Amino acid sequence: MRRTRKDLNRSLLVVLLALVILAPLAIRSNQYTLVLFTTVLLYGVLATAWNIIGGLAGQLDLAAGAYLGLGAFTTGTLLIRWNVSPWLGMVLGGLIAVLFALLVGYPLFRFGVKEVWYALSSAALVEVMRVAFLIWSQVGGPVERYLPYHEWSLYHLRFATYLPFYYIMLGMLILGLLVNRQIRRSRLGYYLMALGENEEAAEVLGVNTQGCKLQALAIYAFLVGMAGGVYACMYGFIHPNFFSGSMSTEVAILGIVGGMGFTYGPVMAAVVLVSMREFLRARLGGQLEGLYLVVYSVVLIAVALFRPQGIAPLVRQAYDRFLAWAAKE
Amino acid sequence: MDTLLQNLINGALTGCVYALIALGLSLIFGVMNVVNFAHGDFVMLSMYLTFWIGLGIGMDAVFTPVLTAPALFLIGLLAYYVLIDRTLRQRYVTQIAVTVGLMIFLRALTQLVWKAQPRALPYSIIQGNIQIGPYTILASRLVSAIVSILAILGVSLFLSRTWAGRAIRAASDDLDAAALNGVPYRQTYALAFGLGSALTAIAGGLLMTFQQVDPTMGLRFGLLSWCVLAMAGLGSIPGLLISGIMVGAAEAAGMSLWDPRARSLVVYVLFILILWLRPRGLFGRK
Repeated sequence: MRRTRKDLNRSLLVVLLALVILAPLAIRSNQYTLVLFTTVLLYGVLATAWNIIGGLAGQLDLAAGAYLGLGAFTTGTLLIRWNVSPWLGMVLGGLIAVLFALLVGYPLFRFGVKEVWYALSSAALVEVMRVAFLIWSQVGGPVERYLPYHEWSLYHLRFATYLPFYYIMLGMLILGLLVNRQIRRSRLGYYLMALGENEEAAEVLGVNTQGCKLQALAIYAFLVGMAGGVYACMYGFIHPNFFSGSMSTEVAILGIVGGMGFTYGPVMAAVVLVSMREFLRARLGGQLEGLYLVVYSVVLIAVALFRPQGIAPLVRQAYDRFLAWAAKE
Repeated sequence: MDTLLQNLINGALTGCVYALIALGLSLIFGVMNVVNFAHGDFVMLSMYLTFWIGLGIGMDAVFTPVLTAPALFLIGLLAYYVLIDRTLRQRYVTQIAVTVGLMIFLRALTQLVWKAQPRALPYSIIQGNIQIGPYTILASRLVSAIVSILAILGVSLFLSRTWAGRAIRAASDDLDAAALNGVPYRQTYALAFGLGSALTAIAGGLLMTFQQVDPTMGLRFGLLSWCVLAMAGLGSIPGLLISGIMVGAAEAAGMSLWDPRARSLVVYVLFILILWLRPRGLFGRK
């Protein structure tokens, strides 16, 4: 029984992977749908990364936009000024995001800022960065800075189609999921889950909570910073509004709604909610500005109220039932 | 130097309005320990209601709280019974998710009704300047500050002199002991939430006498009021007033010394520093 279950898991994974790899080929002429798919993947990457600090370590971080913006600005500025390839740029962007996260995170954890205050200070951080880059006219400023245009250049990571970005984001998502799974199975993962459950208790048992939280924050910042680099290349410009408070909150919401701590929860939430939001926007946006967000927020509230554990446990239940049925057949 | 001082005075006066907003938040957070991310959006909603009433029946923004405060009180009650009451026994993360949902809802709703462009009222009876020595003080700021301080005084009298007010304070000190002494906790919570929301209506009316409103403004007022609350700590009403004034002055200092856009930056950096260095606030009681 156990063996069959593993086999089924594996074959399902292969089918799923084949589907997401082949899907854009079927619709490659339709750029709108491609952008939509890539956006869903982007949110999937961000929410999966968030799961490390938010889901496992239980720190409600609302600063995804700060790390995303840092990654985007590092990558974009390096490319515009010094023609540095974004492949290198996004790694450096990730590292700068880590550096920033450590600089801010160290005092936060050192002075014991937690729960709602951690959430608020991270939300404030995004605004601080946005305004700082708005004022810092050498790098940011109120006008968009465009990345050089290329029809198809792997070095510059600039393409006239969104297709490559779809695959890059997909790669990043898989990386994010693997990192998540690896952490969950590691000593760090158990420490994080313990302190996410009850920080004092974990500390009494000898977990270095500050150090663990910092590590989780750094890994999260690196993944988000890298995604920021790709984000800049995909949209072809950089702007201080990349430090977006609403995007940061949404990432956290996806993590919560998906099911905190479940490796695949955030991706599922991103697939369901982001595509629903974009669908509503396309459907209702033309007639009434804001209507799609009204519907979207009602769904969010409903899920948070009636499924406080998130949608991942539901999906797992359904999946178990499917497996039981498949085993019988 | 004179302009700086003058800006600081005007900023400090605006800060009294921030203190009023933060008082509403502290009723909600201090009493029921509910993290309300939508508080700033209640301010934004009040400002839009003020705009709507001001334009519709030509009522001056200073007087609109007569209508908007009861409306916001009811909206607060509704929000409490429909949403907040169900989250009381949940993790704080769920509470935040629900109030963030409420925040997006309010923002989208105002955008739907009033469109995204900024709105402002054409006039108010409290326009003009008051000259005190070398300093020009905006009348709208002065009146706002006075009304805010009066409202804060009113609330603190309500909290200390009436049974309902004492019930709120008792519930915030020790819910179980209060419940044993016959304080109905749900009604008390609902009252605190309604009152906290109603206070944003007064602030919204005052703010509309000197500034415009757009749907994204909620985040700013939300973070601003959390900043004032973090600075003051829980349980001290004079502390709230002083913190509000300090935050308003800090905004003004950032704007006149550095860059007009640095206004929010200064406040948020201050907020983060306060959390690092004085997690209980400067005047906290508990």
